[in-house]
Amino acid sequence: MSANYSKEKLTLVNELIYQIKVKEAMSKKVIFFKENTTFREIQLKLKEKKISGVPILNNVKNIIGIVSIDDVITAFDKGYVDNKITDYMSRDVITIPQNISVVSAIHKLERFGVGRLPVTESSDSKRIVGVITLSDILNRLLVVVQSIAEKVEDKEIKNTQISHDLIKSISKKPLRFEVRGDDFDNAGRVASITKKYFQNLGISKDIIRRIAIVCYEAEMNICLHSLGGSITIQVNDNNAVIYAHDKGPGIPDVELALKPGFTTASEKIRALGFGAGMGLPNIKHYADKLEIKSSLKTGTELKAIINLGVKNEIK
Amino acid sequence: MKLSKIIDECRLEKIVFCTDCEVETGYCGDLMSDVMAHAEPECIWITIQAHKNSIAVALIKDIKSIVFTNNVTVEKEVIEKAKEEKINLLRTNKDSFTVCGEIYCLMEAETAKD
Repeated sequence: MSANYSKEKLTLVNELIYQIKVKEAMSKKVIFFKENTTFREIQLKLKEKKISGVPILNNVKNIIGIVSIDDVITAFDKGYVDNKITDYMSRDVITIPQNISVVSAIHKLERFGVGRLPVTESSDSKRIVGVITLSDILNRLLVVVQSIAEKVEDKEIKNTQISHDLIKSISKKPLRFEVRGDDFDNAGRVASITKKYFQNLGISKDIIRRIAIVCYEAEMNICLHSLGGSITIQVNDNNAVIYAHDKGPGIPDVELALKPGFTTASEKIRALGFGAGMGLPNIKHYADKLEIKSSLKTGTELKAIINLGVKNEIK
Repeated sequence: MKLSKIIDECRLEKIVFCTDCEVETGYCGDLMSDVMAHAEPECIWITIQAHKNSIAVALIKDIKSIVFTNNVTVEKEVIEKAKEEKINLLRTNKDSFTVCGEIYCLMEAETAKD
């Protein structure tokens, strides 16, 4: 926690140190002494508590001075360690008010090269309510970051938990869309609506993407190659079934149509970026199961099944 | 890297700019099914296909930013749809090859810094 931390990487921490107040981070238990103490008494306390300095307070807890480990060493050196501190202590004390953000505390600690700052009740008060050190600030920061992380985690769990109640209500009522042939303006509509719809169910993002891709390609196929038809999406407990029916003219050779790159699309369609011969191969790739029945008399029936909750990453 | 940085460095025209976002990868393609199959979510998509279906593909693939190259005309309803779906639309008079190269170099330089 110094001013040298990488500013680019720690934007959250940067933000937080402005938000966290000194009073939230400081220790409220203040070890202090009164004026009529000797350096030796203070030295023993510093040793016992493993601290580097203590504030000196008067009867109403107003700060009047500070004694640091350096002062104690000097006292030993100069031979006045058993004297009262009154005449020797530094009266010029750097303090920080409790309602200010910890970023000021960090700056003060650095600027004056001290390890701890006594905290005053307010900027115009000398009454001490706590002490703050860099490790107090770091501790508080970790607590705040932890609670943010927990919130994010909670949210993610909520986002990935499948809502079985919703699925039940949907399984009774499948989504059904009419798709017209040659209607480019509305193409992609079924997939967009379906995607938004499924987002409310709490199904994982990857599964939703796969459902949307299958819907899109099926929808495009009806739009590009048929006289029109419909798409029905039925959600069950374990899977989503996408049915695409069209009124014809039917696929003469289904196996050939499943080959990547095979297309019967016109130049006009291809100029728009469709008809690359990848529609059915894409469906086959992203669905867990695919059945196609096609007749030159009654049209094509496509049934694609995608398992829910199975974590098949999209490649 | 930030989308705004790509826009500045490659001098892209902002047609629709909803929110700045992190871009880690890109995809270039004019065939819808190809983009459907291979583009990664949150990528920047470079294409000459400026019609409503491009927005639908972006939406389905969670693509947040599209760069139209060769200064293609973007119809009003495409812009409206992009605004509605919060997809950033950018345009350049450069061709796809050039702008892909520029974005690629920027991203490489960014990774090298890390």
